Amino acid sequence: MSTHDHNARVPLAFLLPGARAQVNALGDEIDATQREQILAYGLAPGRPVTVLQQHPMTLVMVDEVELALESSVARHVWVTRR
Amino acid sequence: MTASAIALVGNPNVGKSVLFHRLTGAYVNVSNYPGTTVEVARASARFDAAVDLIDTPGVLTLPARSDDERATMHALLHEPLRAVIQVGDAKNLRRTLTLTALLAELGVPAVLALNMHDEASARGVTVDAQALSNALGIPVVPTVATGGEGIAQLTRALTDARALQPLLHYDTDTEAAITDLANRITRHAPHPRLNARGLAILYLGQDSEVEAWLAEAAGDQITGMASARAAAQTKGVMPAALAHERGEAAGTLTARVTARTAQASPLLAHRIGQLIIHRFWAWPILLGVLFVVYEFVGVFGAGTLVGLMENDLFGKILNPAVTTFVRANIGVPWIADLLVGEYGLWTMGMTYALALILPIVTTFFIIFGLLEDSGYFARLSVLANRLFKLIGLNGRAVLPMVLGLGCVTMATLTTRILHSPRERLITIFLMALAIPCSAQLGVVLGLLGGISFTATLIWVVSMVGVLMLAGFLAAKLIPGRRIPLVTEMPPIRLPLFGNVAKKTVGRIKWYLIEVIPLFLLGTLIMFLLNQFGALPAIIRAGEPLVSGWLGLPPEASAAFVMGFLRRDFGATGLFALSHQLSPIQAVVGMVTITLFVPCIASVMMIVKEQGWKIAAAMIAFIVPFAFLIGGLLNHLLRAVWA
Ligand SMILES: Nc1nc2c(ncn2[C@@H]2O[C@H](COP(=O)(O)OP(=O)(O)OP(=O)(O)O)[C@@H](O)[C@H]2O)c(=O)[nH]1
Ligand SMILES: [Mg+2]
Repeated sequence: MSTHDHNARVPLAFLLPGARAQVNALGDEIDATQREQILAYGLAPGRPVTVLQQHPMTLVMVDEVELALESSVARHVWVTRR
Repeated sequence: MTASAIALVGNPNVGKSVLFHRLTGAYVNVSNYPGTTVEVARASARFDAAVDLIDTPGVLTLPARSDDERATMHALLHEPLRAVIQVGDAKNLRRTLTLTALLAELGVPAVLALNMHDEASARGVTVDAQALSNALGIPVVPTVATGGEGIAQLTRALTDARALQPLLHYDTDTEAAITDLANRITRHAPHPRLNARGLAILYLGQDSEVEAWLAEAAGDQITGMASARAAAQTKGVMPAALAHERGEAAGTLTARVTARTAQASPLLAHRIGQLIIHRFWAWPILLGVLFVVYEFVGVFGAGTLVGLMENDLFGKILNPAVTTFVRANIGVPWIADLLVGEYGLWTMGMTYALALILPIVTTFFIIFGLLEDSGYFARLSVLANRLFKLIGLNGRAVLPMVLGLGCVTMATLTTRILHSPRERLITIFLMALAIPCSAQLGVVLGLLGGISFTATLIWVVSMVGVLMLAGFLAAKLIPGRRIPLVTEMPPIRLPLFGNVAKKTVGRIKWYLIEVIPLFLLGTLIMFLLNQFGALPAIIRAGEPLVSGWLGLPPEASAAFVMGFLRRDFGATGLFALSHQLSPIQAVVGMVTITLFVPCIASVMMIVKEQGWKIAAAMIAFIVPFAFLIGGLLNHLLRAVWA
């Protein structure tokens, strides 16, 4: 994960609206129950996401579902840009 | 209990309750947000009266993590299930199949209803039901529950329900742990219907319902299982890892049977959905919604309709006629008084209930149902999240609180959707304290709306202020961490007239059946107190508090006595005094009585969900606190708003 090209992973919270990305990993800061919940919502490693907006909260589209994540969580969802 | 039952199981908000209605004819609430159903409902099936159909709360995941999911797991463990109808959202197959992967391990005969086909097509998603059926080994029936499509096929497919093909094998360490545990379960705690393997997986996943069931069935042997699980966990066999593997397997199968055509432009529903929570547009939209609610309920309901009912129908026609009739035909004066006197069952009880509050709650229920079904309520969690952070909660708690404006009792049950006992406790407490239910809201709007908009506004600001203050303190006092918000937004949908109508009628029925008897009982108590001369004593006893501290006329003591029965009834008592009240007195009275003890039904619900100790502690705090705030407000308003 130490590559520094534009494929480097970034937190989901840092992407601009409209950006498309692929989930890379869920950081260890996210507790076990919430991790399960996020996985169940479909925000799992390898899955494509589209960022819809970042304020007041991170809003993403996964498959056909809109998910809202507080930025304290979205900061620990690592993605690579597509 | 019948010998056989069929459960509807699935992710939240996928249409289980609509299907339940289609299959049984029994209506349970249907709304457009996850967490509508929070307890099991049952009714006998239309296609076979000997079969009980069971509607369950939606599960985002099994193993169960919140109390509504636990209720579903409980049903799977304890109901005499012949089969399960898994209801899935066709446009969200991955999540559907993640749950299927778990149901497969339990070995219950199943059928998959692939619901919301209309929405999937609109989004360019098509699922090959035949291929999916082949892969799973069970019937897969595409349905549109709201339109009644596929219901007949689904009923027919039930005879072909069979155990699912397993969707995956876990990694080696996990499989070893599963086999070990499954052997122990087979030996010490075999389940009459469910496979030991499935129970082992749920136990590894720390499902508390399965833990409880095994502890009961296995007796001492549970310690062996517990240490086997602990050993597995040191090897990395963790609940989230298992969930991840199920998700992967579901994803692979989804990709195989789903085709997507790219959409030219985002759906209108999507765009509206985003505007509602847009960083800028959200606020004018919120104000607009509040304005419409106020116009419809406060102005049209509480003004126009109440005017027609109270002044014209009851005041000019019904009450004079009833009074004349009673006085002429009933010779015993106290009986006549009981019916049509100052505290008469008809002139006070029924007049309040039917002429004053019914029009207001009816308009409220209509607009409430529309908002529920549109998907707007669920989006409020995003808007309120930052505010709720201050009170140790996240935006998820908005939903029960908003539903509390309909009925606090039902909303207390809805707190099951929250993820921690701490969140539940804080939310239930705040609702008991500061969320007025529809009936009470009706009285408040009726009284304060008649005085001025400012008066209403002061009441609103006071309630929100108290909510925040009490929440802030509760969050400090109750140990535990706040959980950040992660939630899904249901699609924006056009409310269906039929559904809103059914809900509204159901709620009006609730009002008539549950509230009116209490109104009559309250009137009777007032009558008796008055008749036996106790009222003056109460008025004298309450005088220092009610007149001295709150600055209300002494007769208002009686309203607080009535308030013990129902807050809204106490509020109505104040309403009866309204001609004697100054604007300040009206606001202070309404604020105090809104904070005052919640209705008996909701106290019983708190006892049921949290135990009597917590319920008693809440009441012990709330009653003095209500008077404290009311008095402070009285003194403040007298200083600044004279
Ligand atoms: N377009 C469309 N909407 C549907 C369909 N089935 C249900 N709905 C809508 O989906 C929403 C949820 O329906 P419910 O029956 O309450 O869903 P549920 O699965 O019982 O939800 P929970 O009890 O919260 O788990 C409602 O607004 C329904 O009108 C369908 O086939 N097509
Ligand atoms: Mg339901």
